[in-house]
Amino acid sequence: MSTEDNTVDAGGSHHDDESSHGDIHAPGKAREAFRQVTKDVAWVAEAPKPHKLWLALFGIAVVLTMIGVYCIYVLVTTGIGVWGNSNTVCWAWDITNFVWWIGIGHAGTLISAVLFLTRQSWRTSINRAAEAMTIFAVMCAGLFPLLHTGRPWLAWWMIPHPNDMGMWPQFRSPLMWDVFAVTTYATTSILFWFMGLVPDLATFRDRCSARGQHLRAAIYGVVSLGWRGSARQWHRYERAYLILAGLSTPLVFSVHSVVSFDFATSQLPGWHTTIFPPYFVAGAIFSGFAMVLTLMLPARHIFNLKHIIKQNHIHAMCKILLATGMMVGLAYATEFFIAWYSGNIYEKFAFINRAFGPFWWSYFAMIGCNVLIPQFFWFKKVRENPVLVFILCIFVNIGMWFERFVIIATSLARSYLPGQWSYYSPTRYDVGLFVGTIGLFFTLFLLFFRFLPVIAMSEVKGVMPEAHAGKRH
Amino acid sequence: MSNADKHDHHDHDADEPQALPADGDLHGLLAEYDTPGELVEAARKVRDAGFTEFDCYSPFPVHGIDEAMGIKRTILPVLIFGGGFTGLILGLLLQWWTNAFNWPWNISGKPTWSIPANIPIGFETTILLSVFTTFFGMWTLNKLPQVWHPLFRNERFNRVTDDGFFLGIEAKDRRFDAETTTKLLSDAGAIGIDKIHLDPDPAKKVMPKWIFAVIAATTALALIPFAIAAKARNSKSSEPHIHIFADMDFQPKYKSDVAMDEFADSRANRGNIEGTVSRNPASLKADEAFYYGLEDDPTPAPEGAPVATGPAKRWITGFPKAVDADQRLMDRGKQRFEIYCTPCHGYDGRGAGTVPNRVAQGGGLWQAQNLVDPGKKLITIPNGQLFNTISNGAATMPGYAGQIPHRDRWAIVLYVRALQRAQNASLDDVPADQKGSIR
Amino acid sequence: MSHENTLHPDEKYKAGKLGSSLAKAGAGIAVVFLGISLILGSMHPDGHMRRFLYSFVIGWSYIFSISIGMLWLIILHYLVRGRWVTVVRRICEAMAGAFPLIFVAGLVFVIPLLAGYQDLYYWAHPDAANPELNHTMIHKLVWLNPQFFAVRYVIYGVGFSGLASYFRKWSRAQDASGDPAISEKLRIASAPAMILFSVLTCAAAFDILMSMAPKWYSTIYGVNFWGSACVGAFSALALITIGIQRTGRLTRSITPEHYHDIGKWMFSFTFFWAYTGFSQFMLQWYGNMPEETVWYKYRLFGEWQWVSIAMLIGFWAFPFVFLLSRWTKRIVPSLVFFAVWQLVFHWLDLYWNVMPQYDWQTVFHEGQKIVIGPLSGNTAMHHVGFSPIDVTVWLGLIGVFLVGVGRNLTGNLIPVKDPTLGLSLSHENV
Repeated sequence: MSTEDNTVDAGGSHHDDESSHGDIHAPGKAREAFRQVTKDVAWVAEAPKPHKLWLALFGIAVVLTMIGVYCIYVLVTTGIGVWGNSNTVCWAWDITNFVWWIGIGHAGTLISAVLFLTRQSWRTSINRAAEAMTIFAVMCAGLFPLLHTGRPWLAWWMIPHPNDMGMWPQFRSPLMWDVFAVTTYATTSILFWFMGLVPDLATFRDRCSARGQHLRAAIYGVVSLGWRGSARQWHRYERAYLILAGLSTPLVFSVHSVVSFDFATSQLPGWHTTIFPPYFVAGAIFSGFAMVLTLMLPARHIFNLKHIIKQNHIHAMCKILLATGMMVGLAYATEFFIAWYSGNIYEKFAFINRAFGPFWWSYFAMIGCNVLIPQFFWFKKVRENPVLVFILCIFVNIGMWFERFVIIATSLARSYLPGQWSYYSPTRYDVGLFVGTIGLFFTLFLLFFRFLPVIAMSEVKGVMPEAHAGKRH
Repeated sequence: MSNADKHDHHDHDADEPQALPADGDLHGLLAEYDTPGELVEAARKVRDAGFTEFDCYSPFPVHGIDEAMGIKRTILPVLIFGGGFTGLILGLLLQWWTNAFNWPWNISGKPTWSIPANIPIGFETTILLSVFTTFFGMWTLNKLPQVWHPLFRNERFNRVTDDGFFLGIEAKDRRFDAETTTKLLSDAGAIGIDKIHLDPDPAKKVMPKWIFAVIAATTALALIPFAIAAKARNSKSSEPHIHIFADMDFQPKYKSDVAMDEFADSRANRGNIEGTVSRNPASLKADEAFYYGLEDDPTPAPEGAPVATGPAKRWITGFPKAVDADQRLMDRGKQRFEIYCTPCHGYDGRGAGTVPNRVAQGGGLWQAQNLVDPGKKLITIPNGQLFNTISNGAATMPGYAGQIPHRDRWAIVLYVRALQRAQNASLDDVPADQKGSIR
Repeated sequence: MSHENTLHPDEKYKAGKLGSSLAKAGAGIAVVFLGISLILGSMHPDGHMRRFLYSFVIGWSYIFSISIGMLWLIILHYLVRGRWVTVVRRICEAMAGAFPLIFVAGLVFVIPLLAGYQDLYYWAHPDAANPELNHTMIHKLVWLNPQFFAVRYVIYGVGFSGLASYFRKWSRAQDASGDPAISEKLRIASAPAMILFSVLTCAAAFDILMSMAPKWYSTIYGVNFWGSACVGAFSALALITIGIQRTGRLTRSITPEHYHDIGKWMFSFTFFWAYTGFSQFMLQWYGNMPEETVWYKYRLFGEWQWVSIAMLIGFWAFPFVFLLSRWTKRIVPSLVFFAVWQLVFHWLDLYWNVMPQYDWQTVFHEGQKIVIGPLSGNTAMHHVGFSPIDVTVWLGLIGVFLVGVGRNLTGNLIPVKDPTLGLSLSHENV
């Protein structure tokens, strides 16, 4: 039976609780284990009163959201002038935040799709939350391009539709590509997430009806579409899940590549370089995993999910952070080398200016947080210390924000014409809106944690050793 | 095997005490198994016994059950390929039709039909339609959503999404027989077997009516905006637009000559602020000869002169004092003339420029003025009037005051005079010592 | 349905004479085709063995890329504790282990450079230092000069050979001792190995291929080369594995499941190559800066445009559509077809990268003939100029590669005591 266990255990995760489950083939044992998973996950949503810490965090998040709502109100009623943007630095915090948020979203897709395709079964403990994170991050991201147009209520002109003026969107513009890429991404993420939720919502439905909570059962029943776990349905469901994963993988690459095209198709020194697409994708995964850990470490602690989100899952994520951090570092180095190698004086200046110009502090914040800080993850002791990992991940989040700021603001502030050079400083509305999106993100995430299955129960059960209980050769 | 704990279930399995008052027809049998492995084995046995109308139910996809039940691979991937291909074609077609065909528009010199720039959106539409096909195709093939099903009437079945592993055989299978089938399931190691009955109320066997109502209501509500739009497009109204956002339609500003209470004189117009520099032509462009080609005239002013008040004016015939009519001015005039005037009037001034030529080729009737035709008044009009024509235009000719500075306009006047002279020259105009070279 | 978790008792997993026969066959191919190439090269009208050396750089990059592609797979396998690779890992190790020989083969173009050969890389030509012509590249002659190039070449040689032999040595040591600690040791080593690998690969691609057009630059070039290399490497792995099975070895251990995975990787990298290639092209096309677009100008106009179109359809669209299907990856004849197909197109990719730089323009300046270098002059006059040497050198170097692989195919063809072997044997695709 020990070999049998190995076949279902992920290549990447050696179970640390192998001794605890005893003989999984014994009568009732497997069912007991499955029941335990259901209980461990469902209690969070079924608890009659929310956790006190949850309430406190939710309160803070709502307050932060309100700050953002106020900033949007001022922005919409006054105009873009309330931001620190200028004719020279025409993109600043707005697009920095957009790229930052959308990058964070990518880790969710990566976990749900790429790790699924590469059979990293440890993903099952975090994929649901990571997918939720994707959706909320994309919602926050979408706000910025919308608002930075100045008149967000006219944004529907970006959707091609016949009109009296005979106008069409300009599809050769990378900004239009963005519209398509981000909406496709948001749609796909929501559908993928919902599809994964259906079997678990059915679990909630059945638990509610077993306890006689008919209204909740009816609500969960409608949203779970009448799922009944039939093998013939599971068959199509699994194919569809695999194919959605297969479609999401190139999609996630394309989305951040298209975001990088916004910059790289221009001729601005510091923006126009061919490594941007894969480099942005690596950076997105990097920041996204940092955010997953930032969210999941406290959640794991508060909701007592340590036996589902295991230490080796944290190890794996720290290693991915390390790997993607190195990729981003390699891209920084390549850019610098080619800036010299190209012989293009503007390109060379742009990079020297980044490191030693007026924005030097943001450049070194970026290098420090993205290249140096992740080096701590080499050490097992660090990876085993959740508090330290949490702090390091916050630094990575900061570093990745600075990366986008460095690319956007420093390049614009020192473009071809010295007469246009300027400096950029944010206003309180820039800061407030950013804070507001953080609030919105956490509000949505906390609501998700309260009312939906935060861990993909059916998937966790499917990769447990007990899933193979009772098999004979 | 786990038949040990079979009895405690079997006691009340004998005749399932349904919570509902009465049961309808028998839908089928539902057997529960202890482990996924036993479910797979049972499924194999049921299939080997020749059943086709049966299904397994489990909280997660059980490994190997497809093969044990003999489930055929779904055609979903083929549908998705079709969906993705359609997405690609539609995406590219959309971009071609809008940007290259219906509204071709030059953007930074890129071809209107720019395939490299069209690939990202083509890719996204491919993915989008593939995803739609996957998602909706999967639910459609699975015949979901279906929130009503006889199995949901069974209490035990509540655990199918938790820890239950079930095998259901439907009564409509031609091999179905309540007793032998029960035995088959029980021999396969079932820890509990229930009879599943349809709801006695025939209305509850199909989709509940309230779902119809919700769908109908939602559809009707969704159509309202379209109905409003359709009505608005097909009717006339004297009401102003509904301005949800004012944009620039209503701006907080005062137009000229309106009342304004803030000032003592209640006028929005304010007088000159102290230190304002006058832009009155009389003071800034005092040299009328240079700027307008005019001089004081005791006789009545010519028609069309720009200065309507003050003393009478007439066109000057010579050149203003500020301009030296020398060889430098002539050279300058030639150069400017060839830049600004030749497209219509031609190099020789006869009106055979590229523009009229092109008009003539296209069958048009418009012609440019012949500047040097001796029969026309252009030869005789004063220099000042010629200058004025260059500045303000005449007939179809636009004014060039915006493009050509004053001094250059005088240079052109000089050059036009030279052209008129040269094109209408007689042999007498040739210097005596060069007459021999003319043939 | 379920596969065994241990090696089948009847499985033939000893290499026996397989390696030496492969090496002999490879040596035969190498001697014949390189011999023909030398003769043809010396007869070529361009003289100075110029065509031969250009073809040699292409052929050498080809076997180099296949070898490092497999090295990448080995490192990745340890890094993520992969499963399915274990049964074919010995074959990967043999392919990656060809490296020291590949390094030696590359000396054929490195030594002439050191000896003052001017006609292969323009930066090695004295006219490259002409500040009037080349003011944008004078400064990089510090980097691109024969001596420093040779130093870096040695670094690449030592680096890749070292990595390949390290993983190969310990994997073999495990065959003897069965010590699971060795897997752990290699897993720990794989992290720094991956970093070293990435840096070396990007740098090697810049040096050996990108510097063929020394005034042109693209930051994604190394990544794109790696993508193409992996397409070639996985295709070669499929072919060699199937070939070994045809000799009656490993017939029970390597199943369609493993072919399915190899096919998946071929598919993924086909896509990845297209993705990086498109990123590079689209950004330079859109940016429309002369110093960048010149590289594409020579590939998208004149005769080269047909090669570019062939690449788009042959290296991407056709295999992409067909490898989408599950069955094209699992049925051996189909997989063989696509492996051969992609191997040919991988060569064409390298050819397309290098050969447009073959024509160097010259001008007369103050009575002196000055070489302006590649990518200058009239694109309409620019011919693909295919020569039989291109193919014979390629085949000859494949022979060299087979010698390198054959020399490593000794002892066990499967890591018999690897702790992940059971998982790999019973591996199944969903």
